[in-house]
This record gives sequence, C-alpha cells and structure tokens, in this order.
Amino acid sequence: MATGEMIAEGPLRCQVVTPERVVIDERVDFVAVPLDDGELGVLPGRAPLVGRLGFGELRSRSHRGEERHFVDGGFVQVRDDVVTVLTSRAVAVTDLDLESARAELARARALPGATADQLREKSRALARARAMVRAAERVA
Amino acid sequence: MAKARAIVKRRKSVQNIRKITRTMELIASARFRKALQRAVEAEAFTRKIAEIVGDLGGAATEVSHPLLEVREPVRRARLVVITSNRGLAGGYNGNVFRAGARRYQENTTDGIGTLIDVVGKRGVGFMKFRGYPMSNVFLQFDDRPTYEQVNELATEYERQYVAGEIDRLDVAYTRFITAARQEATVTSLLPMRAASLAESGPSLARAKGGGGGSAAAAPQRRGEPASYEFYPDRRSILDELVPISFRVQLFKCFLDAAVSEQIARMVAMKGATENADEMIRSLTLQYNRARQSQITRELAEIIGGSAALE
Repeated sequence: MATGEMIAEGPLRCQVVTPERVVIDERVDFVAVPLDDGELGVLPGRAPLVGRLGFGELRSRSHRGEERHFVDGGFVQVRDDVVTVLTSRAVAVTDLDLESARAELARARALPGATADQLREKSRALARARAMVRAAERVA
Repeated sequence: MAKARAIVKRRKSVQNIRKITRTMELIASARFRKALQRAVEAEAFTRKIAEIVGDLGGAATEVSHPLLEVREPVRRARLVVITSNRGLAGGYNGNVFRAGARRYQENTTDGIGTLIDVVGKRGVGFMKFRGYPMSNVFLQFDDRPTYEQVNELATEYERQYVAGEIDRLDVAYTRFITAARQEATVTSLLPMRAASLAESGPSLARAKGGGGGSAAAAPQRRGEPASYEFYPDRRSILDELVPISFRVQLFKCFLDAAVSEQIARMVAMKGATENADEMIRSLTLQYNRARQSQITRELAEIIGGSAALE
C-alpha cells in the first residue's frame, strides 16, 4: 500500500467484511452507508463513528464509477478515513433477483403478528424485504 | 506355483488399496488448505467485532442482554455435537463423540435435562449404537459450512434460549489449534460471557505459515484512541452486537470442525498408505522366498529323478 497509490486511487478506504470473508477492500472517493434510520454519507476527513446499519444499499463512488451493494444489517466503523462495514451478507445490486425479493416480501407479509415478539420479527422481515425489492427494482 | 501365485494376488490387492488411500490423503490435504483459507478469511469479521466492542469502551461489560443472562440452577440444556458426514478420519469423530457423551453424563448426574442435537452422519451412527436420544439431526453441513446455514441454527437456539426453553447451550466440536494440534472440546456458548465479546480468539494466520491474506483486517490503530460518535447510541449497537457475536462464535465452531476433519483424514490416510507400503514390502519378500523354495524343490525332484534312472 504505497502512499502514491493512495492519492491516485481515492482518499477513502472501503472494506466490507462478512463472517465468511472480506468481500470488498478498495479505495474510493465517497461512501454512503444505510444506517438504521437513514443514509449516512462519508467523505474524507469524517470524524470517527460507529453506527448500526439497517437494510439497504451501500453506495461507493470511485474513478471506476458508482457501485451499489445490498447489505443485510450489521455495523459500520469509520476511523482514519477507513470505512469498515460488518454485515452478514453483501451482494452486488446487479446480482439481486427481483422475483425472489418480491417472494420474500410476500413471505414477510404472511408472517403472524399476534404477540409483541412476532410483531418485531415481522416488521424486521418486512423492512428487509422492502429494502431488497427497492434495490432490485432500481436496477431492473 | 500355487502359494506364490496367491501371494502375488494379495500383493496386487494391497497395491490397489494403497492407491486409494494415497489419493484420499491428497484430496484431504487439498480440502484442508481450502478449509483453512476459509477459516482465516472468517477471522477478519471476529477481529473487527472485537475492535468495535473495544471502541464502545466500558459499556461492553455492563450490558444486559437476554443472551448474557446467566440462569441458576440450569434445568435444561442443549448439546450440539459436531461430527462429519464421512468416515475414514481416524479418531476424529470418536473423540468428539466421547467428549459430548461425557458432558451428557455429567449433565444427567447433575439433574440437567439435556437434549442432543447431532451434526453429521457419523455422530448419528454413534448415538444410535450407544442408545443416546437425539432431538435433532443436521446432515446439511459438509466440508464447507456457510454462514447462512449456521445462521439458521443460531436463530433457533437464540429463540429457545430467550424463551427459556433451554438454560445453557453446549457445543462439542474439534477445536483447531495448529495444523499439528486439534482437540475435541465442549464449550458453552449460551449464556454468553460479556468478556468473550471483546475476544477475537487466537489467530489462525500463523498456523498457516504467515500467508494470512487478511491484511484488510489488520488493526489500524494509530495514535491515541479516537473518540467516536455513535449512531444511534452505544446501547442499541450493543443490543445488535451480542446476537451477531453469538452467531459468529457458533460459525467458528463449524469452521474449526471442518478444518480439523480434513487434517484428521489426512493423517489417517497417510498412516494407511504407510501401512500398505510396509505390507507390500513384506509380501514381496514372502513371494520371493516362496518362488525360490519352489525352484529348489523342483531341482531336487529332477536330480532325484535322474539319480533313480542311473
């Protein structure tokens, strides 16, 4: 990791780590992460932060253009211009399947919501499926 | 020539067996490298989680979460025994099974009702043979357990624990320490210890001979600890972190088991190949002797016959 390369390649380092492996590790100009309550943009020089992620799109911009990934909850840590996203699953938006996302949404709608626990489970599943459908629709 | 031919036949079959065990050894060593690679890659996540717990500061130790809640006395427990689907792996499955059975017997003496969940066909065979009751059987895990599969299992255990259906969750598996040392152990995953959140566990990278490939997760500590902003707040981050940490710990058990299985098979098959080599050598010796004595006998007969004619 030479210093010259850092300047040419973009000032931010974006890492996406899942329990199985490091999915993305690249230099970018800008990252937007889907926090629990809305999107958060990170530019170089951002103050350190730890945040909880919701379901949604992780957008990163670099000289290669914009890349979008769907992330499945988790955390984000920003320090020293390194953005680390910890999530159980990260898929490129182009790999999402609209049909299966819609099926997921239908399944989430059909979940029982009688008790408080079930309701919490259901709203979580709904939020996840909706975010997935939204992301997939934007590509389709 | 009857005896010599029988020996030749035997030698040939031993040679064939040697070919098979040698191939299995090579396959196991290739799979071992892959499994270890996966285990090393998976470490990045654990390390980062531990880092975030560190970032949260003291909040980590005073957190209360249903998964951290210790219940005394323990009345019901669940024991997950992780074995392999395939055999010919030396003592691998037997060791795990013995460790699990010991814990089961301890639990029974302590009056803890224990449900056994078995992963892998080998474990199922053992349990059936010894007459242990099994409550669940999982055969879908092969030498590449995925996080998604483990996640399903973890979600169910988490639900049972929170609902009070079980008071403890134990896992019997083979822990991978180094390429030369694996150990069948039983660990308790639930209730979780608050301290275990901040542990990232020993690094596997050195067991691999330094070729870590996980530079991405190398700690980037520079200067004094940064003061973080928290979105939305420490509490809610920890609430989310505890269940994920549990899942990752269970996932690590599966990854360790997969690596250890391949090593055990590799060692067992290496032993089998060496034994076959030795057998081939001794059979060759026997064959040569038999052939020699046959020639001697024939010569003696000819000489005997010609002497009688004189």
